Amino acid sequence: MNTRRPVAASLAVLGYIVMIAPLFFVVITAFTAGSTVRFPPDGFSLRWFEAAVTYQPFMSALASSLQLAVFAAVASLALGVPVALAIHRGKIPGKGLLEGMFLSPLIVPELVVGLALYQQFMIGLGMNNLTTLAIGHTVLMFPYAVRVTGASLALIDPAVEDAARGLGASPMRTFFTITLPLLRPGIFSAALLAFVTSFNNVPLSLLLQSREFRTLPVTMLDYVQQNYDPIVASTSVLILAGTVLVAVVAERTVGFAKIFGGINR
Amino acid sequence: MSVTSAAQFQAVSQVFGDFTAVDAIDLTIPEGKLTTLLGPSGCGKTTSLRMLAGYLRPTGGRILIRGEDFTTAPPEKRNLGMVFQSYALFPHMSVADNVGYGLKLRRVSGSERAKRVTEALEMVGLAHLAGSRPKQLSGGQQQRVAIARAVAIEPDLLLLDEPLSNLDARLRLQMRAEIRRIQSETGLSVVLVTHDQDEALEMSDQMVVMKDGRIQQQGSPQDVFPAPANRFVAEFLGYENFVPTADAQVTVRPEHLHVNARQSPAATSDGLSLDGRVTDLAYRGVDVLVTLAADAPGSSSPDPIRLVADLRASTAPDLRIGDEVAITASPGHLVTLPA
Ligand SMILES: Nc1ncnc2c1ncn2[C@@H]1O[C@H](COP(=O)(O)OP(=O)(O)OP(=O)(O)O)[C@@H](O)[C@H]1O
Ligand SMILES: [Mg+2]
Repeated sequence: MNTRRPVAASLAVLGYIVMIAPLFFVVITAFTAGSTVRFPPDGFSLRWFEAAVTYQPFMSALASSLQLAVFAAVASLALGVPVALAIHRGKIPGKGLLEGMFLSPLIVPELVVGLALYQQFMIGLGMNNLTTLAIGHTVLMFPYAVRVTGASLALIDPAVEDAARGLGASPMRTFFTITLPLLRPGIFSAALLAFVTSFNNVPLSLLLQSREFRTLPVTMLDYVQQNYDPIVASTSVLILAGTVLVAVVAERTVGFAKIFGGINR
Repeated sequence: MSVTSAAQFQAVSQVFGDFTAVDAIDLTIPEGKLTTLLGPSGCGKTTSLRMLAGYLRPTGGRILIRGEDFTTAPPEKRNLGMVFQSYALFPHMSVADNVGYGLKLRRVSGSERAKRVTEALEMVGLAHLAGSRPKQLSGGQQQRVAIARAVAIEPDLLLLDEPLSNLDARLRLQMRAEIRRIQSETGLSVVLVTHDQDEALEMSDQMVVMKDGRIQQQGSPQDVFPAPANRFVAEFLGYENFVPTADAQVTVRPEHLHVNARQSPAATSDGLSLDGRVTDLAYRGVDVLVTLAADAPGSSSPDPIRLVADLRASTAPDLRIGDEVAITASPGHLVTLPA
């Protein structure tokens, strides 16, 4: 820690405490042996973890959420990478405007996007809610994909691509042997960000839910409105553990410096 | 047809919006020689090189390579080796894979490729670094890898954009000799862009001086240096003294001016001979820079003209600021320029 800036350092510590303290209470209560959410917990057991993984609505919602998040991540990148390339490498007029447009879903409130999708796609075109949710999440993740891959594209020296062309590589060949490998950390971080954001999304998923297809956060929200047992806490801890695992894998394979370097620049 | 030129620019222009970066230049790049494009920042050197390499399409004129029209061909169809100012090595590949990249695209078999990669790296003295990543290398080493990569494909032309400007002074001198050696070993036709006149003079077989997108003068250093075609080229090559005459002007290099106390007899009668005054002195060890204000008989303005003499410290007369002096130069050192 930087001891020469005590105020900034104390604020940082305070920030971490504010962020982590509630998690701490959730984690503790998840291990209770009692049947109510209470702090301090009544004894220690893993019964609520067992309950969580055997509770059918949660597990099928988890499968739905994972499916949706994977689809949204892949689809938004499949669209976002070409758009980022066009913005950063193409010779198109009005690049700034274009970039601004692709950022706009971040500004429009998600409920508005959700309502529009609900009216136009589900009611208007009669699409089922899975398709509509997939489209909705892809639209929401798309700006992240464009921004994050665009940021790491901007870090690649265009002369490197020129050099490949000069050595005899076609534009296609240059993309697959030079640009794409150099873009990999950016694509990976965009995918991670899109996946996590989609997985945790509530507003859109809430608006577009149905009995057949409901995401985990929405299902949990539903559950706490009627019950007050620690199964929600234990499920949360499991999600937290999963997220930490993803983060560790990301750190091991790509490195946070690269991932978040890509986002910050 | 007999091929005597590696490449030719025929009235080639490049216009960006309403700005003309390169203005209808005609230029022949000779086979097996080193040609430098020399000029100040923004004069269109890089633009010309990028048009030759195919990264920019000329807005006018034609570019021939070995007699064939390549004006609109993309870079990958040209077989030219380009060395970029930023080196532009592929960061995700080893040094050997960088050098072998162009050979792989040419479907050179594995063993043959390995052999040619090793040869190219030996030529630049870096065979021992074949397995390294570019970011593990120093700037000078990266530069050599970039050259090896460009030479490995046996290009029709080797193009270098300011290859030495990112290196420190000592390495720069070393690389001048090294690039010359590579050129003569391989017999490649080389085009090198620089804004450093010493570099151009030392390295060129042919030098091409540019300004504002036009060629001002071209020829061997031996032809250009003693006979600049106009005031711009003269100034760029270090001629600092310009004396107006009746219908033109003469120029002379600072090291060719003689400065003596007024009473001594004039050294030459048919060369330059002016009266003047010492306005500044700068002792630099080997030499002394003397700044002078001279009365100019041919000048239309009444103000004295400013001259600079570069005298050898060991033989220079003892001068003080304010001394009245005679300024002379022998006729062989005078170059007449258009006014
Ligand atoms: N893509 C472009 N769009 C508009 N103007 C450009 C473009 N590329 C170059 N120019 C302009 O054309 C002129 C010549 O540029 P060029 O890069 O060829 O100069 P240079 O001689 O290589 O100079 P330097 O020594 O600074 O590299 C400059 O004034 C530059 O601003
Ligand atoms: Mg340049």
